Parts: sequence; structure tokens; C-alpha cells
Amino acid sequence: MKTSKLTFWIFCLAASIMIAVTLSGRLAGQTVQPSGTGSGSGTQWSVQVERIDPGQLDLAHSFQVAIYENLLEELNKTKRFKYVLREGDSKASEIPSLLILKTMMVKYAPGSETQRAVTTVSGATKLTVRSQLVTREGEVVLEHTVNGNVRFFGGNLRATHNLARNIAKVIKQSAWAESERLARYVPVNSICAAGSIHGCSSREENR
Amino acid sequence: MYRWFVRNDKSSCSGGQALISLSALLLCFCISTLAQSTAPASKANSPFSIRATHVMGLPNTKSNCKGTLTTEDNVLRFQQSGKPIAQVDIASVRYVFLGEESVQVGGLPMKIGKAAAPYGGGRLVSLFAHKKYDTLTLEYVDGDGGLHGAILLVTKGQGELVRDELVARGVSSSSDEGGPTKQSTSEVRYEDK
Repeated sequence: MKTSKLTFWIFCLAASIMIAVTLSGRLAGQTVQPSGTGSGSGTQWSVQVERIDPGQLDLAHSFQVAIYENLLEELNKTKRFKYVLREGDSKASEIPSLLILKTMMVKYAPGSETQRAVTTVSGATKLTVRSQLVTREGEVVLEHTVNGNVRFFGGNLRATHNLARNIAKVIKQSAWAESERLARYVPVNSICAAGSIHGCSSREENR
Repeated sequence: MYRWFVRNDKSSCSGGQALISLSALLLCFCISTLAQSTAPASKANSPFSIRATHVMGLPNTKSNCKGTLTTEDNVLRFQQSGKPIAQVDIASVRYVFLGEESVQVGGLPMKIGKAAAPYGGGRLVSLFAHKKYDTLTLEYVDGDGGLHGAILLVTKGQGELVRDELVARGVSSSSDEGGPTKQSTSEVRYEDK
């Protein structure tokens, strides 16, 4: 009798754990979904990343390329955009709701990994950029000045990774999608959202 | 008479030797001229291979992994041991840039060792545990015209060879960058005016 009671309680406990796990999974799925849609207006925007504009600065080409590549990777990670396209991608012309990410160098302090390792306090590589999200018509939707540094550990190119991560963070956290400026450019029928564009690569494919 | 003949023989022999040496000289000259004229063509088609570290940008390749960089049949290949080959068509490479980077060697084990060393011994080790590399930055386009960038680290001095090899195959090198760009270690600030 005692054994059957014990079995019953174990069964109840297992069932309740199973229900709890299933529910939590569903809830998690529900919470993830809004961030995937990316905008309050329901339109999924895509972004095309332009190459880095070094301006007057003598920025090494490796840094420019590293910022560009890291930006593409980090923007994919935010899941805020339906498609993250590269500069010159011919598919961009087929996407109706497209924003362009422009990045201009503002400040650059070249550092040294060896100096950082020896002194700890000096030798930091510092990057400051002005990044803009603009519409096709050239209207600025979001503008921010973002920093990316490497102070202690890692190579100099790590600063580019930190910078790209910070830019992606700013884009993810700001409410640009709800702005009135952008509302004017929201297409009535998003063709790409319906998946009718031939050859459109999704976030997963871009990775 | 005998002497005459002998003398005659000797003169004919020396004349023949002179003729042979002259023709040999001409042949050498011709061969060297021919070799000079064909050298660039054979260099452009011959395979070229060096060890490199992939920092980022090549398709289907992890970051910071070592492998072999090869140029053959107008394709730039990067292969890690036992991994699939990443390859880029040299015709799609728009620019190649050469730079220079000083990197601390030893990776994570070295870092831990340096941190654990007493009396700041790790700092002293850091002073000597660095190596200079050439950075090769490539800009290439994919099938849709999308711009890609790839960064590779090669042993100092070899970057120039790779750049020359790619330039010989039709890739443009940067116009404002004759030699490698040094990343200054001094804390210099540039302001956008």
C-alpha cells in the first residue's frame, strides 16, 4: 500500500515537472518571437551594411575590413533585421523595406598588444565611429557615436569586434523602428516578408 | 712538310674550337633570352603555397585557424588539415592590401603562465614573447556582387610575395600603399575635422 502511494507521488511529481518544462518552453518561444519581428509596426526591415568610411584618418585596411565583417556578424545576431546584406549585393534592389547602415570613422588611437601586456595601463586601441541608419531616400533614422576599445587582453583587431558589438547593441536597444520618420517609408505589402523574392538569403543563410 | 701539316692541323683545330665556343655562347644567350621572356608566364601559372593564419572573412572557415594558403589555377585556396577547403576565385578579388601586425605568441597557456608568474615576471616575458606578422587584407565579391573582406596573417616577409603573386594574376594592389602599413605603437590621436 505504502509502495503504491510512493509510486503515485513520484508519478505526480514527474508529471508536474514535465508540464512546467513544456510551459516554460512555450513561454520562452513567445518571448523570443517579438524580438525576431524587429518592429512595432509589424514590418520586418532589412539592412545593407556599407563599407567603413575612414574619412581623414589613416586607418589600416585590415581594421576597415574587420569592422565591416564583424558588423555583418553582429547584426545577424541581433535578429532585428530580416536580411543583413553586404555592400553591392544585387538582391538589395528587390527588398522594399531596406535600411542602409553607414559607418564613418571619427577617432582612432592605434595601440599595441605588447605594450598592453607589459604595462597594463597603456597601449589601448581605441576606435570611435559615427553610425547612421538611413533609408533609401537618405533620411537618417538613427544616428549614434559608438566606441570600441581593447584595453587589456586580446589583439588590436579585437577592438573592431567590440565596436561592431556596441553598434549592434545600440541598434537593437533603440526604438528606431517605431519612429515617425520610418513610418512614412513602410511599404504596404512587404513582398520580401511573403518570401516571394527569388534568391533572398535569410539570416541563417548569411551566416 | 709534316710541320706544315701539323701547323695546318693545329690552326684548323683552334678555328673549330673557336667556332664551337662561339656557337655555345650564342646558344647560352638564346636560352637565357628565351628563359627571361617566358619566366613571368610560368610564374603566373605555377602553384604558390605558404602557411597562414585565417583571421576572418573566408567562406566556411573558422576564425583564427592555421592552414595553408595556395594560389593555383586562378583560385586562392585556404586549407586546414582535415577540413574542407575555402576557396576564392582570384578574378573576384578586387584589392589586396599589405599591413604589419605585432602579435603576442603562445596563446591562452602562455597568458595563464604569464599571469601566474610571480614578481611581474609575466610582463618581462611579454616584452620578448611577440612576433611580427604581415597582414594580408583581401576585398572580394560574391556571386551576387556583395562585398566580402578577408584577413590573413603570414610570416613577416611572405606577405609581399603573396601580394606580388596576386598582382601578377591581375589583382589590384592599393594605390596609396607601396609597402606595408605599420600600425604605430604610439598613442596618437586623429580627429576628424
